[in-house]
Amino acid sequence: MQPKLKKSLIYWAMLSPLVVVILFPFAVMFVTAVRPRDELFVYPPRWGFSEFRWGNFAEMWVKTNFGEALFNSLYVSVLSTALALVLSIPAAYALSRYRFPGKGAYRTFLLMTQMMSPIVLVLGLFRLMVALGMVNNLNSLVLTYAAFNMAFTIWMLQSYFSTIPRDLEEAAWIDGASHFTSLVRIFLPLAVPAMAVTAIFSFINGWNEFVLALTMIRSSDDFTLPVQIYSQVAGRYQVEWHHVMAGTVLATVPVAIVFSWLQKYLIRGMALGAVK
Amino acid sequence: MKSLNGFKPLAMIVPGLLLAMFIIGYPVLDLANTSLQEVSRFGQLRGFTGLDNFAEVFADPLFWDSLERTVIWTVTVVLGTLAISLPIAIILNDDFYGRGLARVIIMLPWAISLTMTAVVWRWALNGRAGLLNATLMDMGLMAEPIEWLAEAQLAFTVEILIGILVSIPFTTTIFLGGLSSLPQDSYEASMVDGATRWDQFRHITLPLMKPFINIAIVLNVIYVFNSLPIIWVMTEGGPANGTDILVTYLYKLAFRFGQLGKASAISLIMFGVLLLFTIIYVALVTRGEKDSAAKGDA
Amino acid sequence: MASVKIRNVEKSFGALKVIHGVNIDVEDHEFVVLVGPSGCGKSTLLRMIAGLETISGGEIVIGDKVVNNVPPRDRDIAMVFQNYALYPHMSIFDNMGFSLKLRKRPKPEIEAKVMEAADILNLQPYLDRSPAQLSGGQRQRVAMGRALVRDAQVFLFDEPLSNLDAKLRVVMRTEIKALHQRLKTTSVYVTHDQIEAMTMADRIVVMNAGRVEQIGAPLELYDSPANLFVAGFLGSPSMNFIKGRFRREGDQAHLLCDDGTALPVPAASTAWNDKTVVLGVRPEHLNLAADGQGIAATVDVVEPTGANIEVFVELAGERVCAVFSERHPFRPGEKIALGWDIDKVHLFDAATGRRI
Ligand SMILES: Nc1ncnc2c1ncn2[C@@H]1O[C@H](COP(=O)(O)OP(=O)(O)OP(=O)(O)O)[C@@H](O)[C@H]1O
Ligand SMILES: [Mg+2]
Repeated sequence: MQPKLKKSLIYWAMLSPLVVVILFPFAVMFVTAVRPRDELFVYPPRWGFSEFRWGNFAEMWVKTNFGEALFNSLYVSVLSTALALVLSIPAAYALSRYRFPGKGAYRTFLLMTQMMSPIVLVLGLFRLMVALGMVNNLNSLVLTYAAFNMAFTIWMLQSYFSTIPRDLEEAAWIDGASHFTSLVRIFLPLAVPAMAVTAIFSFINGWNEFVLALTMIRSSDDFTLPVQIYSQVAGRYQVEWHHVMAGTVLATVPVAIVFSWLQKYLIRGMALGAVK
Repeated sequence: MKSLNGFKPLAMIVPGLLLAMFIIGYPVLDLANTSLQEVSRFGQLRGFTGLDNFAEVFADPLFWDSLERTVIWTVTVVLGTLAISLPIAIILNDDFYGRGLARVIIMLPWAISLTMTAVVWRWALNGRAGLLNATLMDMGLMAEPIEWLAEAQLAFTVEILIGILVSIPFTTTIFLGGLSSLPQDSYEASMVDGATRWDQFRHITLPLMKPFINIAIVLNVIYVFNSLPIIWVMTEGGPANGTDILVTYLYKLAFRFGQLGKASAISLIMFGVLLLFTIIYVALVTRGEKDSAAKGDA
Repeated sequence: MASVKIRNVEKSFGALKVIHGVNIDVEDHEFVVLVGPSGCGKSTLLRMIAGLETISGGEIVIGDKVVNNVPPRDRDIAMVFQNYALYPHMSIFDNMGFSLKLRKRPKPEIEAKVMEAADILNLQPYLDRSPAQLSGGQRQRVAMGRALVRDAQVFLFDEPLSNLDAKLRVVMRTEIKALHQRLKTTSVYVTHDQIEAMTMADRIVVMNAGRVEQIGAPLELYDSPANLFVAGFLGSPSMNFIKGRFRREGDQAHLLCDDGTALPVPAASTAWNDKTVVLGVRPEHLNLAADGQGIAATVDVVEPTGANIEVFVELAGERVCAVFSERHPFRPGEKIALGWDIDKVHLFDAATGRRI
């Protein structure tokens, strides 16, 4: 046998248990989402079912108020990403291009906040939002997500910005560009891919966040997707699992596709600076 | 012109810095303040009580149980993750048919929020109709369905396994970054010297990967220590507090039982622990940067 | 076009002072090469002329204007960077036309200028490509082209050839020189390659550790270096140095070496008697002495280069290099006798390094 083929077969055999365990929940999700309701609880439990009920999705959309939760998640993820980027881009540019007093301390501060998890501070954050009168207000999530994401976005942008040679901007100044022009005409076009990738990761973080959304948002009209789906499972006597699974399919699959497409950038970002 | 101008860069970092300091700094100070006071269930501060809240925390057996479980949770998840991720990364770093697909699949759990993963598993592990039971019974491995989440010991074990599963992508990513930076010529040189693949792993890969392994350990410890959704969604720390770790216990104290003073005290304790890990992390990162700077000079 | 005057210029990065009061006058139309070892401050000085670094002390005058506080875009200079700094997201045409576009020149004029530059540099076939699709030498030419279209007052070059392979470097060296002879734009050219300096410059500025060691025409520097540093820096293989005590008796002078050998040297003033001095002899100025004369030397290593042979010998206890264009069949260990023309050797004060 060809050596590479043999190697591939061995590798896949070694990976297969993990691959199965990873794909298992996806299978569970799909199979449940399209199952007729009365085939959820059968004994003995089984994978098979009588027919595909695509209608489950539409039914779920209406019954669980999915559209609203979707909108809330979009609102929070988009705005928090925008806020984080608006604040991170200049900071990352400063880190990659200038020397300034306190730079070392600032980098340490970033590393520290990158490690700060909201859960440890969740009570304090809740009390802060009470004091600001922002409980039950999606903007409280926008602010906190942006703040907690910024360390990540600054690191990521900074490591990409540093790969854009500085002498390109210098060449532009000599060619007659002002600082502003060189930023807009030379630097930004080259930095767009990095900013897009960073934005998408920040978006996914907001999209997936659970603890703060669970804490700050009390009324079901303002639930984001993770909380909305959780609320259909927690503390209920009867859980409509086919609806829950239909919801998770809709909430996760698009993000998973985008993420899969972008994961190589994350590996690169890590290698460039976020970890190194 | 650029390098000496200290004002402009400061103006560029300050807005973000202010937001971060406010959103992260205020809660820390507020928690410190609250932890020293008597607090009503509705959050009113009723005056200083010194370290009473801390004393109460330390006298609480549930705190110690949760702490113990936190240690077990963190250590087993991190070690399990590392033990699986390193070989996976080595495989994924090699060239074989379908590597792109394998990478995508292994990274998949990262793309999905822990909440969703936990919800799906909660259903998959359902004692009556869960599809894990269906699978195992179809394979003839058991005759009766198992109530996976009804008993604390079993539930906690299952949660640990899922914890490992969701930590693998991130850890593998770090290792892949590390592996891709290893110098190819040392492998070639060692091959000329007659090293076997195992020799190469022990004497080249492992030592060179050490900084990345260190970072992976510290980062995973931090993330796993702080991870709430899996346990919260699957068992809410139950049954009978049997799967509570510090974060779930803290969340219950704060938002279920209204014991805000105690919750603040635990928050602060955890904050201290986290700070310690973070300092280790920062030290590792800065050392790594100095090393690579030194290499760059040479 | 304009002259460039650098007056007492200093530069510090924080507490680190890297340029210590440099004075250079670059005449209009002149091609001046800054040369010196790595880290001596050449790039820093050039970047100060360009306006990319602040000037910590002194002043720089371009034409008759002090430019210390003038931003780069208003200095009317063009610069060729070591890594070319081509804009990766623009075509070659746009790279070359960018400066004119920024100055809001009409399209036809931009087109004409870019075409003219492309013509000079043989770049017409590549105008639609992106920089990534060019070879190193072509990129280098684009970087030159970007400077050419500008009609700038001064051209600045920072080691523009150091990323090219040896052969291409020689070709481009000649092209740049030819270009300057045609355009006569005042140019300041930084390199650490002394051959580039010798071949291209109208005048060379030798720098060391943030100071100017000597300024002058290439052959002037080669023939009468002002100090040990310049003497050792220019020329390849570099000048041989032999230390000893000076002794003048009548019209004759000698250098007494530690091993007792007496070497003939130019007759400097008797004031130097018994002082320690350094004799400098270029390898090509050593010749085989007639039998029974000259200084005894033992052959160590022989390296033929094709055109010449380089012979390393032991002479007066020092290792000395000699270059011959004849192919002498020397063997290692062979004893030979060498001599030199006294007018062609140099004496330096061992204490200060200055030429005597
Ligand atoms: N931004 C900076 N901050 C601090 N020191 C600097 C900076 N730029 C240059 N230096 C220092 O200034 C000195 C001169 O640097 P410069 O780049 O001018 O050297 P160079 O002569 O161009 O060398 P090379 O031939 O290697 O390019 C060096 O010692 C360098 O370390
Ligand atoms: Mg330089």
